[in-house]
This record gives sequence, C-alpha cells and structure tokens, in this order.
Amino acid sequence: MIKLDKNSENNLIKLFESKTIGLEGNIIKLIESDNDLFKDYLKKCTDKDKDSRRKRLEITKKIQIQNSELSNLNEQNQKMMEDLQSTLKEAEEQKVKIEAQNGELIDWREENEKIQQELQKEMIKSETARIRAEEAKTNAINDLDILQKKNQTELISTIVRVALYIIVGVGIVTTGVYVFTLVMGKDTQVISAAWSNIFGILLTNAFSIVGTIMGIKYATENKQ
Amino acid sequence: MIDSILLVDDEDLFHLVFEDACSLLDISLSLNALNSSDEAAKLFQKWFQSGNDNDKPECVFVDLNIIGSSFDGIELIRKINFEYGNHVVVGIISSSNEPEEQAKAVQAGAQFWIIKSDDIEPRLEEFRKDYEGYKNRTLPFKVYK
Repeated sequence: MIKLDKNSENNLIKLFESKTIGLEGNIIKLIESDNDLFKDYLKKCTDKDKDSRRKRLEITKKIQIQNSELSNLNEQNQKMMEDLQSTLKEAEEQKVKIEAQNGELIDWREENEKIQQELQKEMIKSETARIRAEEAKTNAINDLDILQKKNQTELISTIVRVALYIIVGVGIVTTGVYVFTLVMGKDTQVISAAWSNIFGILLTNAFSIVGTIMGIKYATENKQ
Repeated sequence: MIDSILLVDDEDLFHLVFEDACSLLDISLSLNALNSSDEAAKLFQKWFQSGNDNDKPECVFVDLNIIGSSFDGIELIRKINFEYGNHVVVGIISSSNEPEEQAKAVQAGAQFWIIKSDDIEPRLEEFRKDYEGYKNRTLPFKVYK
C-alpha cells in the first residue's frame, strides 16, 4: 500500500474541490491514509471512477451486442449472397442448357427448311407431272373424241350414203316403172299419183335425214 | 484480490468489458490484455527461459478461438502448463459451451471455464470467490455458466 504525505493529500483534495479532478483507476485501491478528509476524498474518487467504469461498461456491452447483431446480419447476408450465387449459377446452367437446346432447335429448323425446300421442289415436279398427265389425259380424250367423231361421221356418212342409195334406188325404180308405163301406153293415173307421192316422200325423207345429220353435227360441235 | 491478470482474447471490445468488470468487482489490481496466443506464448517462454518472472501474471484468462493466432486457447494453456513451467491460475473464457472442448481443456490443464455473455459480472463474482481454491490447486475444474 502507498501512503502520501499530508501536503500531497491536501493538494489533491484542493484540486478535486476546485476542478473536480481526482485520482482514477486501480491506483486508488493502493493508497491508504489516516486523514479522514483524504479518506473521504479517496472514497469520492473511487465512487467517481466506478461510476465512469459502470457507464463505460454499459456502453461497451451495448456496442458488443450491436456488433454481435451486425455480425449475425453479416452472416445472414453472406448466406443470402451464397444462396443468390447458387441460384445465379443454376440460372446460368439453365441458360447454357437452353442455349444448347436453342442451337439444336436452330439446326432442326434449318434441316426442316431444307426438307421443306426439297418437298417444294418435289411438289413442283409432281405438279408438273400432274399437269403433263392431265394434258396427256386431255389429249387422249381429244383423240378419243376425234376418233369417236370420226367413227360417228363415218357411220353417219354410211347411213346417209345407204339412205341416199335407197332413196335414189327407190326413185329410180319408181321413175323406171312410171317411164315404162308411159312408154307402154298404159294407164298412168295410179302410177303417176304413186310416183309423185313416193318422190315427195323420198325427197322429204332425204331432206329430213340431211337436216337431222346437220343438227347432230351442230349440237356436237357446240358441246365441245 | 488477484494481483495481476492476463487476458488473451482477439476481441478488443471485450478487453474493455473485462477490465471494467474486474475493476468494479475488485477482482484485480492490474490487467494486461493481448490479442493473440502467439504473443502470450512468447511472453511465457521469455519468463520461463529468463527465470525472471516478476511481471508474470497471477491468473490467465484465455479465449478458446483466437482469430489471427497460430494455435487456439487450449493449446496455449497446454504450453503454459507443460512447456513454460505453469505457476499461474489458468482457464478459458469463451462463448462456447462444448463439453468436448471442455474435456480437451481439462487435459491441457485448464482450471476453469467461464462462459462469455452480456452479463459476465455474476460469473466473475463467483470466480472471485473460488479463486483461492484455484490458487491452492484444491478446487477441481469448474464451468461458470
């Protein structure tokens, strides 16, 4: 323990009274005195020191708590950052996958377009072939039609020829019989009437046949 | 009252808290604080090798995990006890309460384990009462919760 001389004790007491400056810290615990005034001074200094220490302790504890909270928040932030980075990494991986898929899709589309172009070419070829086939078909139909017409015309001409032969034949025979009757000087009343009738009928039939043939021909031409 | 205490802790703010708490509770007259176990080990080595240990602390409080040090608090206690001649009351002051770590500390020669918290004064008060037992090596290892 330390003992101060009386003069020092008094000076310290005066300093405390005039400027409230006193001893601080654990040194106070090491000083002893027989002077009651100085003992009182030491007690005041001790109380003051304890007050200031208590205040400082409270403040430092608060700061410690705040630091601890900040540290926890920092840890949470770091965790969040790690989570975010992990999510970002996953997103980037997904992006790479999607890009790869996109690449595959683009390749597939290009291939598809090529196939489409080939298909279009084939379709054009097919269309051309179809047109050609249709043309061939039309030509064949036309040829068939022409052939039919030709046959029809030949048939008609045969019919007409035969009919005309018959008409002319009947006319000749009737005229021959009439001429024979005239030459022979026989009664021509019945034969003349019959000849004129038969001739009229033959002419009418002849014109009728010609007219029918012309009509059929005209109608067939219009249909085409 | 303990003559001198050495605190080894990487947290500067805790140095202030510990100093003020010790002063208010009249635990010690003198307190020295270090930030790393390496510094503390060097000091003990110096005291041990020189044989001059006048300024050697009477009691040492060591944090368990000391950031910036090459070894932890338990290893420092082991060094103090088994390499540098002991003669101090030494223990852990940490926020950890792991029985496994406490068992390791006992093996290293720690005499006490004080759990750090916002309200450390009651534990220091209790420690102060038990201190003579640690000094005489009569008290077994104790955890102050």
